[in-house]
Amino acid sequence: MSILSKVKEAVICLRAGRVTLPYPAQPRPTPPNFRGRPIFDASRCIGCAGCANNCPAREILVVDLCQEVRVLQYLGRRCTYCGRCADVCPEKAITMSRDFETATDHVADLGQRLELFMSTCQRCGRCFTPPSALDQLKLKGYRFDDVAHERWVFHSTAYGRDEPVVEDVEIELD
Amino acid sequence: MIAREKLNLFKQKFGPAINRADLTGENRVFVFVEPSALKSVCEHIFRDLDARYVIGIAVDDRPYSGTFLAAHDFAFDRDNILCSVLAHLPADDPRVDSISGVVPAANWAEREMHDLVGLEVVGHPYPKRLVVPDGWPQGVYPLRKDFAWNQAPEGFDEHQEFKFDEPPPGCTVVPFGPFHPTLDEPAHFRLYVEGEFVRGCEYRGFMVHRGIEKLAESVLGYNDIPVMAERICGICGCVHSVTYVQAVESAAGLRPPPRAEFLRTIMLELERLHSHLLWVGLAGHVLGFDTLFMQCFRIREPVMWIAEKITGNRKTYGLCVVGGVRRDLSSELEVELGQVLDRLETQWRTVLGAVLKDRNIRKRTAGVGVADASLVKETGLVGPLARAAGVAIDCRRDHPYAAYGQLDFDVITAGEGDVWSRLVVRAKEVLESIKIIRQCLAKLEDGPIGLKIEDELPVGRLGLSSVEAPRGEAHHFVITGENNRPRRWRVRAPTYQNLQGVPTMIKDQRLADMTISLASIDPCFSCTDRLETIELATGRARSWSHEELIRLARSRQG
Repeated sequence: MSILSKVKEAVICLRAGRVTLPYPAQPRPTPPNFRGRPIFDASRCIGCAGCANNCPAREILVVDLCQEVRVLQYLGRRCTYCGRCADVCPEKAITMSRDFETATDHVADLGQRLELFMSTCQRCGRCFTPPSALDQLKLKGYRFDDVAHERWVFHSTAYGRDEPVVEDVEIELD
Repeated sequence: MIAREKLNLFKQKFGPAINRADLTGENRVFVFVEPSALKSVCEHIFRDLDARYVIGIAVDDRPYSGTFLAAHDFAFDRDNILCSVLAHLPADDPRVDSISGVVPAANWAEREMHDLVGLEVVGHPYPKRLVVPDGWPQGVYPLRKDFAWNQAPEGFDEHQEFKFDEPPPGCTVVPFGPFHPTLDEPAHFRLYVEGEFVRGCEYRGFMVHRGIEKLAESVLGYNDIPVMAERICGICGCVHSVTYVQAVESAAGLRPPPRAEFLRTIMLELERLHSHLLWVGLAGHVLGFDTLFMQCFRIREPVMWIAEKITGNRKTYGLCVVGGVRRDLSSELEVELGQVLDRLETQWRTVLGAVLKDRNIRKRTAGVGVADASLVKETGLVGPLARAAGVAIDCRRDHPYAAYGQLDFDVITAGEGDVWSRLVVRAKEVLESIKIIRQCLAKLEDGPIGLKIEDELPVGRLGLSSVEAPRGEAHHFVITGENNRPRRWRVRAPTYQNLQGVPTMIKDQRLADMTISLASIDPCFSCTDRLETIELATGRARSWSHEELIRLARSRQG
């Protein structure tokens, strides 16, 4: 009987009442283990670049300015908040915050830049063992991501041997 | 072992044509055949052995074996076997016989083989471009290994318009899409209409193909891909992520710990819950019954919240990595999940009690968009579409993965094959999902949630995995490779097959039924096209030309 269905449907709506939340007038707290914007703690970071090597969106760039100074730049513009960086970080220097209201009129506001003083040999890779063979931390050597153009310099077999990785920068492939 | 029996059957019939056969595990069969025998082997499997066609895959294997690979995947649903028939093709002349004549479901897959890898599919009944646009230069194949992931080919003409077929005589052309109120994503149907009736259509899609497979095999790593795979689809993201990791695990011979399998199962079913609730709501919306839409979304919201509490996000759970899951389920959340399910069940039963007897909905959907059992077989339709036509296929039961082998649930079917049957099937599957999650919670045991992977994954192994997404079977094909990434990863979303059934479903129907017929397959064009979407809001009221938008996007300033 269709009329009965309509009555039932009306009752469902009336019982439900008003369900809309008064957001954003009242902020809605996120659950404790929410994956929001990652926060980088410069005091803990040892500059291993594991986060950069495992970021699926390639949002974390690492560049060695000289033997002692390594810059780690998080762009934040197409970060998917997957939290892989926080997973692989051996020093727990990255926390996924509960902050998701990141709208801004200037995208650089979302970035974070860490200038790290590297005191020991970067080539020995002494820091720790990677968590698994799949989470490659690639500790050795220098990094020259293209910070000026905000590009990750890929260590990729997609390029032919003789092709330049980035047209205007010359970099040796792995 | 049934897989061996199947292989013996092939060997008896095609003995000399079979070069190599791999049985990897109890329910995976890989048969390498002579290219000339590919068609007859596929026909035998599809017709005589009554297997379901899944997908065709082309692989540029030249750097490794010096050949191209063409593969066709089949599923033996009654025997729990996934089978792949592969043929090595010479690098200088990659020609392969089309099987679309005998296996109509292979139509799109073979066109894609040509578009992306450049295999010449001989004798294809409709050899038109499918994936690449008409302005794409001839002879450039983006999935070949010598094509860089970030390369823009010379001679690409983005202003080239599509070349459409001539409509049949006496028919008017009505364009449907690429932007249409009922489509959330772009796809173009060129409907041939005679009076009020649709007589046929031409489909042009893949407008948002962004080459996520290419990205995976050239840039990303094994554990980067699950979170990217999740972004293939906004609804069944977890499905693609689980399918991918299962394909890799099956290739590498890994078995995740039981607790990880149960957690995957719970999240897959939560995803099905929210997807089915969303779809029933959207179907109501398309029919103009927005009350149902509102109530479905109200009931659905707590599912999103509990998913957020468990995984850290409403959608894109970021749950899977190769060998396990990333987050555990605390005992408090187990209790809360149980309470959410209890409330959901009560509320959903109330809604069902009203909707399933609503004569208006029934009249609007009964007999509309019919896909019968023979169409299901011929076009390889999957999921609620097949089950609504009385074909009881469900990967959860037929090809048990994760923890489904230990759970007890029913496969819901209906007999009419119309939109109403699909609505009934999906509405009732909600209750089955609730049942499954409750069993998972009861059987969940303490233990590790991930394998410790000490060694790099073996190279050159083949892996297949099928997962029952809310819309049907998602199927991934993986060849493991060097540098911590797969050589080839092929994603087949359920909509890829289901869309191929739409032209038949809407034929000789009224034009007004087009929207609900299309909506009833729950089309996911992003899955089909395999993209990531990015929305860009300018905030200012002005109109932008195409070039200006591109320039704006490429200028990369604030």
